[in-house]
Amino acid sequence: MFIILKKELKALLKDRRAVILGLLMPIILITVFSLAFGGINNKSEEKKIQLLVCDEDKSPITKQAIAGIDSIKMLEVYTTTTDSALALVKAGKYPAALIFRKGFNDSVKAIRPLPWELKYDATQAIEMGMMQQYLAQSLFANVGKPMSEKMILRNARKQFSGMDSMSQAIMALQMKKSFETNSGDMDKLQQDIMKIKSAPIAQAQNNDGLVQALAGTAVMMLLFSLTAVGGRLLEEKENGTLKRLLYSPLTASDILTGKIMSAMVFAICQLFIMLTYSSFVFGLVIIPKLGSILLLVPAIAFACSGFGMFLASFVKSREQLQSMSTLCILIMSVIGGSMVPSFLMPHWMQNVGHASINYWAIQGFYDIFSRGIAISDPVFLEKVGILTAIGAVLTAISFSLFRKNVTSMA
Amino acid sequence: MIDVKNITKSYGKTQAVRGISFSIKEGECYGLLGPNGAGKSTTINMLSMLFPPDAGQITIGGIAIAKSNTRIKNMLGIVPQEIALYDKFSAWENILFWGSIYGVKGKALEDKAEDLLKWVGLFDRRKEAVKDYSGGMKRRINIACALLHSPKVLLLDEPTVGVDPQSRNLIFELIQQLNKEGMTIIYTTHYMEEAEKLCNRIGIIDKGLIIAQGTLDELKTQSNVNDMILVDCNQAPDEKMLNDKLKTTVSVSENRISILSGDSKKDLTRVVTTCTDAGYEINRIDIQKGNLEGVFLKMTGKQLRD
Repeated sequence: MFIILKKELKALLKDRRAVILGLLMPIILITVFSLAFGGINNKSEEKKIQLLVCDEDKSPITKQAIAGIDSIKMLEVYTTTTDSALALVKAGKYPAALIFRKGFNDSVKAIRPLPWELKYDATQAIEMGMMQQYLAQSLFANVGKPMSEKMILRNARKQFSGMDSMSQAIMALQMKKSFETNSGDMDKLQQDIMKIKSAPIAQAQNNDGLVQALAGTAVMMLLFSLTAVGGRLLEEKENGTLKRLLYSPLTASDILTGKIMSAMVFAICQLFIMLTYSSFVFGLVIIPKLGSILLLVPAIAFACSGFGMFLASFVKSREQLQSMSTLCILIMSVIGGSMVPSFLMPHWMQNVGHASINYWAIQGFYDIFSRGIAISDPVFLEKVGILTAIGAVLTAISFSLFRKNVTSMA
Repeated sequence: MIDVKNITKSYGKTQAVRGISFSIKEGECYGLLGPNGAGKSTTINMLSMLFPPDAGQITIGGIAIAKSNTRIKNMLGIVPQEIALYDKFSAWENILFWGSIYGVKGKALEDKAEDLLKWVGLFDRRKEAVKDYSGGMKRRINIACALLHSPKVLLLDEPTVGVDPQSRNLIFELIQQLNKEGMTIIYTTHYMEEAEKLCNRIGIIDKGLIIAQGTLDELKTQSNVNDMILVDCNQAPDEKMLNDKLKTTVSVSENRISILSGDSKKDLTRVVTTCTDAGYEINRIDIQKGNLEGVFLKMTGKQLRD
């Protein structure tokens, strides 16, 4: 028994790279998962919601309101122009923009419904509930309170016009107390006058959960599948068929191109099967969006195929491929939002996620199905372009590594 | 048909081929005989353009090989040492695939595939997955897959490794038939009897060098080899002691002594006496008439299986 134990340990230790990966993998994954889910430093740094604020009115009251919003601990406020804010929210880079329209100050003075709007990313509707609570408290303190006082004083003057100003002030004070205790009046102020027009920036499809599940799972599984396709390159190297192919008139580039193309065909089929299944079973609307899908799916397939071939060209054996692919795919899936939506992660982690295929693929699906972004919109095309670029870079590296390794085939 | 001039190849600091030269005429079957690691496969890989030599020149069919020359590649049929087949595919699927990558298409490909499968005796089992074949059957398909495009030159790199004697004989017959039909063949092996049986000329390769080449008779003459006495003992004999006492080329491998002899009848008594005096119990004695094993022993001072 101990002889077997000794032999097994000796055999295990012979493959140092496998041992190192085996020991490091759980540590790396625990770290990445913890960082993604905010498990580290969660006492000192709570996750803040980012909010873009646009001040078209530039009045003292809007400045005061923005200062109030800026002091909310749970918000991270950035001021910018309306066009820029809308573009950033549309692109999914910020969850929401609060716009103080021109004439805001005049409306406060005239106690008219206030011209302000909250435009948000349709995929982040969950965060908007929290956001609106934070905003309501701050805006009432900074805008609502002075407005209500002004309103009461105006009403007191109107109602008690025969009294002297001292009596009018006393009556106003009493009315204010009554107003504050009478929730109906308060509600009227909040609902009619202070109400923020809140709407998603593009037509919301109300299917975020499904899109997240579809896109997140599809891309993660695709990466695994295509790494397995890449693994067949190593299998061919091991069983001699790759050498035999290289004996033939085919070039190394012909062989790798053929492999990548087969991986892409497989990937495209897999994605379309998932989309069709989601359409039939969960009611995902795909026909009107077919153009965008036909553009995004090959881009995702190309990026994932490039990744599979890159790994297969980089590692020396199928055992190494298995360890490396599991590590890379799980990390990319965590940081890229396959396992948990990106917006729930700390902001710096969301930025790190931009380095993953998963992030761009999932955002592309959100653009199509949740944000309702048109095929010609640069916001959507950017994602298609980035995925294609990732695929091109990884494929180019694969070609270089593959050619370099050809002489070691014999 | 093939002209190899002073080719070399190194892997890092290891020099696998150290200046090999040989020429092969059209229709000839040339054997490269040497132990494992002698440089046979490296030579085949350079001939088949898997990688270029570090130095020297190779000409096939009058064309000097360059980095990638489709004309030369189409001239060559290569049977690798490994059974390089897709084992989940059937024999038929494999043969069609390997033919198609050489540009053979359509009915021509199917006709050729059928002929070859009949020729290797596997047409009736063509639809079975290769993984279900015996080692010998896989080896035969391995050869057939190299012939779809009717190459002028066939390179066979140890095509009988791990094959049972019956399948081996069948493979020999196939190769002899191809050679009779005029195909130029290069055959690498570390089995003496294969080289003796199949090849018109043989190059003996050891440590990256061709140490002798010619017909079997020429090699025997070159090495002045007549007979070889083979003695199997009950224990590992002392090679140095035997060399000193017998004063001829003696090689010991495990319990076997191989002794080169100019006159085996005369030397036999002396060999038996020497072994008995040394306390070795003799289990078996064979006398082989001058053969390649003797030539190899004379040339390299070791048995081919060392």
